[in-house]
Amino acid sequence: MGPRWSPRRGGNLTAEPVIDVRGLTKHYADIKAVDGISFEVEKGQMFALLGPNGAGKTTTVEILEGLRDPTSGEARVLGVDVRKGYRKIRNRVGVLPQDFEPFDRLKPREAVAYWAKLFDRTLTKEEVAGLIRTVGLADRADTLAMNLSGGEKRRLGIAMSLVGKPKLVFLDEPTTGLDPGARRELWGLIRQLKSEGTTILLTTHYLDEAEQLADDVAIMNHGKIVARGSPANLITQFGAGAVIVLAGAGDAGLQAVSQRGVDAELNGSDVWVRVPIASDMRGMLEKLAAIDTPVTEIYTKRASLEDVFLKVVGARMQEGVLAA
Amino acid sequence: MSRILADVSAFGKMYLRSRVGTFFALAFPIILILLFGAIFSSSGSPQVPLYVQNKDCHPDCTPASLAFVEALNNTTLITYQGIPENAIFQDYIRQHSINVALQIPSGFQETLVSAGSGNASAQVHVLLAGDQTQSSYGIAYSAVAGVANGFNLKIANATKVVDVAQTEFAVRHFSYIDLFLPGIIGFTVLTTPLFGMTSICAEYRTRRFFKLLATTKLSKAQWLAGKIVFHIVLLFVSLGLMVLTGIFVFKMQAVLTPMALVLVATGTLEFTSMGMALGIFVRDPETGAAIANAIGFPMMFLAGSFFPVDAMPSFLQTTARFLPLTYVNEGLRATMTFANDATALVDTLITLAFAIVFFIVAARGLSWKSK
Repeated sequence: MGPRWSPRRGGNLTAEPVIDVRGLTKHYADIKAVDGISFEVEKGQMFALLGPNGAGKTTTVEILEGLRDPTSGEARVLGVDVRKGYRKIRNRVGVLPQDFEPFDRLKPREAVAYWAKLFDRTLTKEEVAGLIRTVGLADRADTLAMNLSGGEKRRLGIAMSLVGKPKLVFLDEPTTGLDPGARRELWGLIRQLKSEGTTILLTTHYLDEAEQLADDVAIMNHGKIVARGSPANLITQFGAGAVIVLAGAGDAGLQAVSQRGVDAELNGSDVWVRVPIASDMRGMLEKLAAIDTPVTEIYTKRASLEDVFLKVVGARMQEGVLAA
Repeated sequence: MSRILADVSAFGKMYLRSRVGTFFALAFPIILILLFGAIFSSSGSPQVPLYVQNKDCHPDCTPASLAFVEALNNTTLITYQGIPENAIFQDYIRQHSINVALQIPSGFQETLVSAGSGNASAQVHVLLAGDQTQSSYGIAYSAVAGVANGFNLKIANATKVVDVAQTEFAVRHFSYIDLFLPGIIGFTVLTTPLFGMTSICAEYRTRRFFKLLATTKLSKAQWLAGKIVFHIVLLFVSLGLMVLTGIFVFKMQAVLTPMALVLVATGTLEFTSMGMALGIFVRDPETGAAIANAIGFPMMFLAGSFFPVDAMPSFLQTTARFLPLTYVNEGLRATMTFANDATALVDTLITLAFAIVFFIVAARGLSWKSK
């Protein structure tokens, strides 16, 4: 597959995408883990597959990593059919698998040097130290991996995925199970990778992670892509504008707002009023200011991917699980 | 090749840092050699404690009964332990959990004198009590029957017509350790890679290391080759320690031959591959341990690691012919103890054939990918 005409990118003649997926399926008995998905990832892009557990994200990524064979469809990575020529591109692809665990009894310095040799690269001591410094493990380079924290282990995993100087890195749920501090530190590292021009395919069930990091997001559910676009475009398309929150207004507040002909919903003890069109914001605020129900606070909130997810999937997601 | 060496180096570091594997590969065989060597090497054959109640005492024991006990002691097959004359024989045996006991009846000397005077009907029974299924009973019976026969010959004034002359059939004087140590080497060649590899396969599968390795350029065959190289180095070190222990502690005569090194390397290839082939069926550490134990333990006993295959019932001897460890044990004994490299070569080739089959099954059957 050579250069091709791409209407999505303004009709320019462009290079082949780094990842190109067409009608990909993976079926197990009566389960459709991946059900005819198509997408492409451009060079230097950070692409996120977002969805709950069991949506088909990891199955998709493992097909793209050459670790599973698809049932049907086409998947090309760096121009190579994943079913045929993966050996040719192994050292151009970095992988951080889901639930990555390092070898307990190797130190980060040893693990990075060992992993590089499995890609036919012999790193100098300085190169090893540089990679370890990049992922922020300089102080822990000589600590057995079994004694590293969860966040440090993932950082080591990212260092190992980078030993071949890959053009493309797969990060399968890189921050799952980490505390918020460790997650934000990893986000910084992932942003740094992207800034260096590495193409990244990220899977996550954290909506904020996809919104913060990704250039392009595909929301998956039941093996299908149910929405696709940049976070900003998705929010514009599905997020229903902004929300005015009447904190602590409760049932009385909801009743008072409804009596004024305004659609609202109760979220806990807060009343949410959606304002789809930005120019209507002032008028709506004036209307709500006239309500005398006690509130603790009034503030506006931009729609987020959470709203998009609720709209396209029909349920909220908590730690990868869809709420009823 | 550099991938294999890198894997050997990294795996070696992890293995040696775990301590458990190192203990079982290096220290445990030495402990077995010291233990079994101390039990069996000192006197050549074990002595059975024989509890004797001499009832032929009025009150002093008669010279004939004392001579019978002394003759038993002189056989070196038993060690004499006394039972009080007034104790109830059966109760004493039960209360003291005695395996085998002898009672010399009252009138023992009187009957011998009567027989010596020409009384053809004179007869006395010494009573041997014990569990006849135990080997100690058989040894005690041989000793008692031999001594009784000697007394009978003396009374009959008979002369010994058929006697047993003893000679050594080999140049070297073998001791127990010369036959036992090659078996322990075989045992180590079996257990270290087999148990190690099934456990590694279980860990690598549950912790997804196989999937991680599948994202590199290392192939399954290279990974397996790395494990084989590491285990060969480890077992050569273990072999050296075992042989040195045999020589310096037990004055072992068996020698470490080049053929023994070839056989140990081939056996290691065989059982490392077998461990990885079993890894095809291993889903978690518990399954791994169960499969390794179910196959390893019967094999180490049936293939002659601790007892010679020739001493087993014929159906077990037939079974042993199908066990890969049999040829490692027999080949090691042939070359190290009997300097018979021709037989050892045949055993090595059979071991190599098993090894090739296991390697192919392992490299093809064990999947790193998901379905």
